[in-house]
Amino acid sequence: MANGGREALTPQAARSLVDSVDVFIFDCDGVIWKGDKLIEGVSEALHTLRSLGKKFVFLTNNSRKSRKQYAKKFSKLGMEINEDEIFTSSFAAAMYLKLNNFPTDKKVYVVGEEGIKEELKLVGYESIGGPEDGKKSIQLESSFFFDHDKSVGAVVVGLDQHFNYYKLQYANLCIRENPGCLFIATNRDSTGNLTSLQEWPGAGCMVSAVSCSVQKEPVVVGKPSTFLMDFLLERFRIDVSRMCMVGDRLDTDILFGHNAGCKTLLVLSGVTTLPALLDPSNSIHPDSYANDMSHFVQLLSQ
Amino acid sequence: MLTSRVISPSFLPLPPTASTSSSSFSSLRTILSPFLAKTQLSYTRTSRMASSLTARTAANKLENADELIDSVETFIFDCDGVIWKGDKLIEGVPETLDMLRSKGKRLVFVTNNSTKSRKQYGKKFETLGLSVNEEEIFASSFAAAAYLQSIDFPKDKKVYVIGEDGILKELELAGFQYLGGPTDGDKKIELKPGFLMEHDHNVGAVVVGFDRYFNYYKIQYGTLCIRENPGCLFIATNRDAVTHLTDAQEWAGGGSMVGAIRGSTQKEPLVVGKPSTFMMDYLSNKFGISKSQICMVGDRLDTDILFGQNGGCKTLLVLSGVTSLETLQSPDNSIQPDFYTSKIADFLSLKAATV
Repeated sequence: MANGGREALTPQAARSLVDSVDVFIFDCDGVIWKGDKLIEGVSEALHTLRSLGKKFVFLTNNSRKSRKQYAKKFSKLGMEINEDEIFTSSFAAAMYLKLNNFPTDKKVYVVGEEGIKEELKLVGYESIGGPEDGKKSIQLESSFFFDHDKSVGAVVVGLDQHFNYYKLQYANLCIRENPGCLFIATNRDSTGNLTSLQEWPGAGCMVSAVSCSVQKEPVVVGKPSTFLMDFLLERFRIDVSRMCMVGDRLDTDILFGHNAGCKTLLVLSGVTTLPALLDPSNSIHPDSYANDMSHFVQLLSQ
Repeated sequence: MLTSRVISPSFLPLPPTASTSSSSFSSLRTILSPFLAKTQLSYTRTSRMASSLTARTAANKLENADELIDSVETFIFDCDGVIWKGDKLIEGVPETLDMLRSKGKRLVFVTNNSTKSRKQYGKKFETLGLSVNEEEIFASSFAAAAYLQSIDFPKDKKVYVIGEDGILKELELAGFQYLGGPTDGDKKIELKPGFLMEHDHNVGAVVVGFDRYFNYYKIQYGTLCIRENPGCLFIATNRDAVTHLTDAQEWAGGGSMVGAIRGSTQKEPLVVGKPSTFMMDYLSNKFGISKSQICMVGDRLDTDILFGQNGGCKTLLVLSGVTSLETLQSPDNSIQPDFYTSKIADFLSLKAATV
């Protein structure tokens, strides 16, 4: 593609892209929806792509919901998407543990929301922490001793709107003191369009907070890690070059595409602005970019 | 009053995620090592300044305390792990401090703990039976206020505080308006449709320190100020990974809160606490002391000792706090103080051999 992503998608390039791709991988926040509002023209755009015989899956770093819960969200927004077509970083965390034979007699401490807990439960793991620990606080007397469960074998950290010092300290003690305790991050997005009106701090905050206290780096299972790509390849059994990642964030979506070897399309309907993309300090370039999904699909018929 | 001075951030940007630097997630069939999270003292490695320029010899065990004492005019003591542990005085501290004072030495106490103001620390010293003037105490809460004064931070701008009472008190004493602090710990977020968080556009600095009332509301408020208010400063009192709130165990430290805000803003803070030399410069200016006349005494290598080395003064590590002899002598450790000893009371017992 001319100029490596510094040029907007043209009608010809759009048609060429669609011809060369069988499967589109869509990020959700900032591409399909913003908070609880569908981005304008998305339904029609997806409909058009389906009519052209394209398959798609949704790959989101947002770990707040499980795949099942996301399917419900799609349904509420008028789109019938099967939970098998949705891959979340919450699912990725559970799968990572399963594939690494994490023992079922060990527990998982969750700094995150229901989505992570649900996915862990689905693969048979017991988790503690999660939203209810958001109500706990520490006593400030000098004699106070903070106890933690020694059978915790992994700490999973994701986006957590109930984040607090109690959870931070619990995670700190598990990772430092339980031998071999894993430190897993669903993702490290700095911010996200969690509501339609503004960006909000992402999992990157909670992960950095824990990482700074334990002085260790986590294993990251969401984008830009290519962990989930393996599931997609298993599912579709096509060459990775016949897939295209469509996302709004350079250091997760587009980097994921680069790492995995598929095509990449940036849409400007989310966290990345055109000036940010074109800024000389940016080193991550998508194959091309469009304003949003609707614009992308409109180009096909121009 | 210090002239305006830019303190350059002493830390590199966030390291890449483990996934971008390794291609380990390539196949469903691959059994991945459960130990992919590598231990990384990135704080220590990246924050080395003066110490990386000269090959430092291994620390010497302190044999002749008098020689060290006679060679300097001022002792700077860290508090946690040196003077006290939690609320308990470490053995021999009162007598040691009395001895040093009787020899005409200036004593200064520099702590990264931002939860109390100097006045509140003064009370703690008093409760423990030590006579220490609040003018001799420099907490990172004080450092934040002093920094803002040193750059003539406008009094009509506000400071958003992610931290505790100590910071609020010091800001107030210095005449700065603030928002946030512990009471924002009760504020809740509900990520529902139509919800918009407003923030004060007059906030010109966000100060982040240790905060037991840390929550999502504060993370978002601080993030909005830093990202959207033009020229808004991001100041960290310190970046300690762990802190000793109680003497029984380690607690996640101010470095966590700072890490969270670095995570959402993708910006590096200006650090005013150890190992940044801001407080060293402030002290030497205020008391008119040359750095070669100072000995820094602390229990933590990557804050206290690095602070002393960056500042160009002598350094003494005590093993009465977080650092063990094993850690000091480990091949993974590259921060070597001039001397080490078990506790400051050794000043009383370690004398040159008299024939």
